[in-house]
Amino acid sequence: MSNATGEIQLRRSVGTATATATSAGLAFAAIDYLGVVSVMAYAPGSSGVLAIFFGGLLVLLVAAVFSELNGLYPTAAGIRIYLGRALGNRTALTVTFTYMTTVVLVIAADAFLIGAALRHVLHEPAPLAYLWIVVLLGVATAANLRGVVLAGWVQTIVTYVVLVSTVVISIIAIFHVGGAFNKPLNLFGTSSFSGIQAIAFALFLFAAFEWVTTTAEEARRPQVITRALFCAPILIWIASSLFLVALAHLVPFSHLHHSAYPQLLLGQAALGTLGEIWMLAITVLTALNTFNGGFLVASRFIYAAAREGNLPRGFARLNLAAVPWMAVSTLAIVSAVLAAVIFATGQWLLLVAVGATLEAGIYALASLSMLILRRVETRDRPFRVLAGTPLATAGFVIFTLLALATGLADPKASGHFSLAPIGVIALLAGTSALYVRFGLPRVRAAHAARQATSSPRRRPPRPAPVTSDKAPSDAALSNSGLSNVPVESESSVLGDPTVSPMEP
Amino acid sequence: MAAWDEIGEALADYTVTCNSNERLRKMQRDWSRVLHFICSDTTDTFTMVVTSGEIVATTAGHDGVPDLVVTTDSETFCDMFWGDLNPVAKYLRGDIKVKGTQEDVMRLDAISYVIWPDS
Repeated sequence: MSNATGEIQLRRSVGTATATATSAGLAFAAIDYLGVVSVMAYAPGSSGVLAIFFGGLLVLLVAAVFSELNGLYPTAAGIRIYLGRALGNRTALTVTFTYMTTVVLVIAADAFLIGAALRHVLHEPAPLAYLWIVVLLGVATAANLRGVVLAGWVQTIVTYVVLVSTVVISIIAIFHVGGAFNKPLNLFGTSSFSGIQAIAFALFLFAAFEWVTTTAEEARRPQVITRALFCAPILIWIASSLFLVALAHLVPFSHLHHSAYPQLLLGQAALGTLGEIWMLAITVLTALNTFNGGFLVASRFIYAAAREGNLPRGFARLNLAAVPWMAVSTLAIVSAVLAAVIFATGQWLLLVAVGATLEAGIYALASLSMLILRRVETRDRPFRVLAGTPLATAGFVIFTLLALATGLADPKASGHFSLAPIGVIALLAGTSALYVRFGLPRVRAAHAARQATSSPRRRPPRPAPVTSDKAPSDAALSNSGLSNVPVESESSVLGDPTVSPMEP
Repeated sequence: MAAWDEIGEALADYTVTCNSNERLRKMQRDWSRVLHFICSDTTDTFTMVVTSGEIVATTAGHDGVPDLVVTTDSETFCDMFWGDLNPVAKYLRGDIKVKGTQEDVMRLDAISYVIWPDS
């Protein structure tokens, strides 16, 4: 069915509000509360708000870049396609494999953070936090394996509840008597480099907002995704800024820097036990979006890669709920192991640094792709960035610098260098590159061999040149009695494969 | 460019193969959708109605409000319905365009994968 403008209308399609909620929900996870603390480590006190503001401005540039790219390739596989067209298939595969590890990082981090928050509120011994992690991941895995998908409207409500609650409790905390705003304009107070790092960590607060482009195929119009890409960062900017100001107002930084649950500390400081339980509930709610979205995005990517012959075919195996069970199970196991490592080492801030570096790197590559595709891709773009070439050039340079700034930052001690974040990324990217260089040819060879030895081509050869490729007229179709009628049974006309249901 | 009757023949075979696959029927038992197909090179269109995993109607033209709209050239449709082509590879190259939810896109591919696992 088409509307007045000739666009086909789907029975279920996504509008701006839902797309915005999807974008904000993918970005705003429990780890974002730690992201705010990481910003504060480099931009003392309320000056972190400026860092988030500048980070938000850069994210609007990212939104413009992804809007143009999404308009060019409005598909869930968009990132693969435009990276492939711009940088080559091998580079695209290496980057997307590395990029997908951020999903595992976020799932693992959220499992750890929620486990730690639950243990803290329930006053349980530390090792029980890992039990909570296993339980959470187990429930999420079981739900995914059974094909349970959070309905769009539930996801929308959850996202807005989380954002509004964060804003409300922050406002309550800001008006709480007894706190003091610290160093409100000290963006470059510790050193100039700290300011840049603060902005780089601020970028992490918006990380994954661009994944809304994977819903491009269900959007009512291409403009829906563009609007979501610009609206969601504004919502995240408001919530994160207020949360940062509230933290700076009420909770000493020395308490925050070694805590895995700053949101609980803020809730406690603002409203006592009620605030703490409120923020715990919000933290658990964020898991719904993270686990639902994270498992779905990553498992579908793995499934598609396996079906394409880029990963071992086992990852494409489906259970009776049509879920790629091996992909989901592998994600769960890797997340659980990673969460255990975080639990044992206490390196949760390293995850923030790795995530921030990866995202800045992806934004740099997206800017570069846009630059290249402006030269080589001639197809129409529903959204074209004004002054796109200089802006994308600036984006490539800025995001590369920001990736280096966070990749070389010590997540636990501002002002110190560390090779840990960039080392983790080098390990992930190196593993991906090695797989693409050496493992992939073998997987593809096996895939090709299977295809060659499988059943021969089923499509019958054409007996003679086609003389007419026109569809039969409606009158002919209706006279045939074989079209525009339901298929009655397998033994009916369709039982004979030589007879077409639409043949006149 | 595939002729209209070639597409019809491929679609008929696809319907029989899908409906006679027990595992597929069980897997798709909760999947009821209206699918619209558009041949980008010939502008031919057709509709497939799936109820509880069974293809219950395949008709020329577009009937009803679709859950999923698939657009590609007529040759690709023919090869896809005969199981001679891996739809994912074409989709990831942008040769097959789909409008619909990601779950439905994956379900559509799952049909091909279950009935032709080596495609």
